[in-house]
Amino acid sequence: MTINDFLNEKKKYVELSDFDSHFFDDIANRSKILTCIQCGTCTASCESGRWTALKTRIIIRKLILGDLSVLKDPDIWLCTTCYNCYERCPRDVKPTDVIIDLRNYASKLGNIHPVHRKVVDFLKATGHAVPINDKIKQMRKELDMEEIPPTLYKFKDEENSELTKYAKELFNLVPPKDEKEEVKDKGKKV
Amino acid sequence: MVQEKKYAFYLGCIMPNRYPAIEKSTRYVMEKIGYELLDMERAGCCPAPGVLRSFDKEDWMVAAARNICIAEKMDVDLLTVCNGCFGTLQEVNTQLHENEELRERVNLKLKLLGDYEFKGTIEVKHVAALLSIDIGPTEIQEHLVRRVNATTAIHYGCHFLKPSQVRQIDSPEDPTILEDFVEALGIKSLNFKQKYTCCGAGGGIKAAYADTSMTILSEKMKHISDVNPDFILDVCPFCHLQFESGQDWLKKNHDINYDIPVFHLSQITAYCMGMEERYMGLQYQNNGKKYELIPIEVQTND
Repeated sequence: MTINDFLNEKKKYVELSDFDSHFFDDIANRSKILTCIQCGTCTASCESGRWTALKTRIIIRKLILGDLSVLKDPDIWLCTTCYNCYERCPRDVKPTDVIIDLRNYASKLGNIHPVHRKVVDFLKATGHAVPINDKIKQMRKELDMEEIPPTLYKFKDEENSELTKYAKELFNLVPPKDEKEEVKDKGKKV
Repeated sequence: MVQEKKYAFYLGCIMPNRYPAIEKSTRYVMEKIGYELLDMERAGCCPAPGVLRSFDKEDWMVAAARNICIAEKMDVDLLTVCNGCFGTLQEVNTQLHENEELRERVNLKLKLLGDYEFKGTIEVKHVAALLSIDIGPTEIQEHLVRRVNATTAIHYGCHFLKPSQVRQIDSPEDPTILEDFVEALGIKSLNFKQKYTCCGAGGGIKAAYADTSMTILSEKMKHISDVNPDFILDVCPFCHLQFESGQDWLKKNHDINYDIPVFHLSQITAYCMGMEERYMGLQYQNNGKKYELIPIEVQTND
């Protein structure tokens, strides 16, 4: 069965919108998830899953079955990207990359944690996910270092600064999703 | 060919903006082993491979390529001190090098950010790989003025070695490069349970799910404290932050006070090369403030 056969087969059960079919096509092509034999090595190796409800094997299983609820599952955000599953998967499914792809699609639906949105705000305002502060500036002085490192932040006030372009072009997140929209997706599960 | 004995010094976020002493130490070490570090003006966040890659892989790649382009323009390889930065920059550099279609797409967007075009002319290097492999435990001894009589719990972190098919540095299941290297500095590396597990900081967990992140760290800290090391040794400012803030969290929430100092490989190597102890910055960290390094002066023949 080729990936296209599989997707056609799936369409009998799930009415896929353009977004959804693009989503499955993309994930399946990139990561060979259809070769997953559900052995559970990923779950057994998972550093986060030891403490949380994150079960990588089940996420991959749902994905194969076309269950779109994975995109709203907060568990996909519990992966630390430690790459143990990626290293050990006997079918080279690269589950870490699959989870990152899932997060990308979840983000396109606006499913992003408010704290993560703040990290992006920092990035756009300073060029850093972790910006400098007065305490650190003082520390740098005491260590006989330049008070402000020569990164985007230092040049932020230049005319037509690169930080302005950077903030304008990159990581423009979809706003938080309206609750009413979510009801529409429910009929799409297999 | 890029210029030899020079690196574009990629700072990232946490090192310059939280642990400047790691930056200070890295600069010291590189000068002592005969490398010139060039500033990368207008570099930005790598961006972080866990949190920022999760929102938009393509933007993540464009922002990373922009940083790589800054080094390309300087005609030197890029040096990073952090596993996260290394993870992003090494992976994007590799992918854009191998995939022409991707490169063209990224280059189109790069134009919107300034005068940038990814050419694929440089390599991305982690300071820990430079020290422990390129220089190595034998040659490093020529540069030491003292060794340290100490035991340590080594923490490799995740993105330094994994995914191993992309990184190609050492085995992710049983690495030895850092153990061999610190032995040359007089430091004994201790074995402990689950030595190669994650610190729990990555993937955006530390920001959004702090308790989960701290739970993962707590188990790691327990196994580390079981073997009672003089200090924890990491090669990543984010793991460094996690070990520091994690110990604070345990103190505050569970009344467990391990008080174990945390050093980055650059800090301890710089000290062994003669850097003043105050530049290591232990006084600015929250744990192990009372720890006193026991130096052993190196005998020279001349």
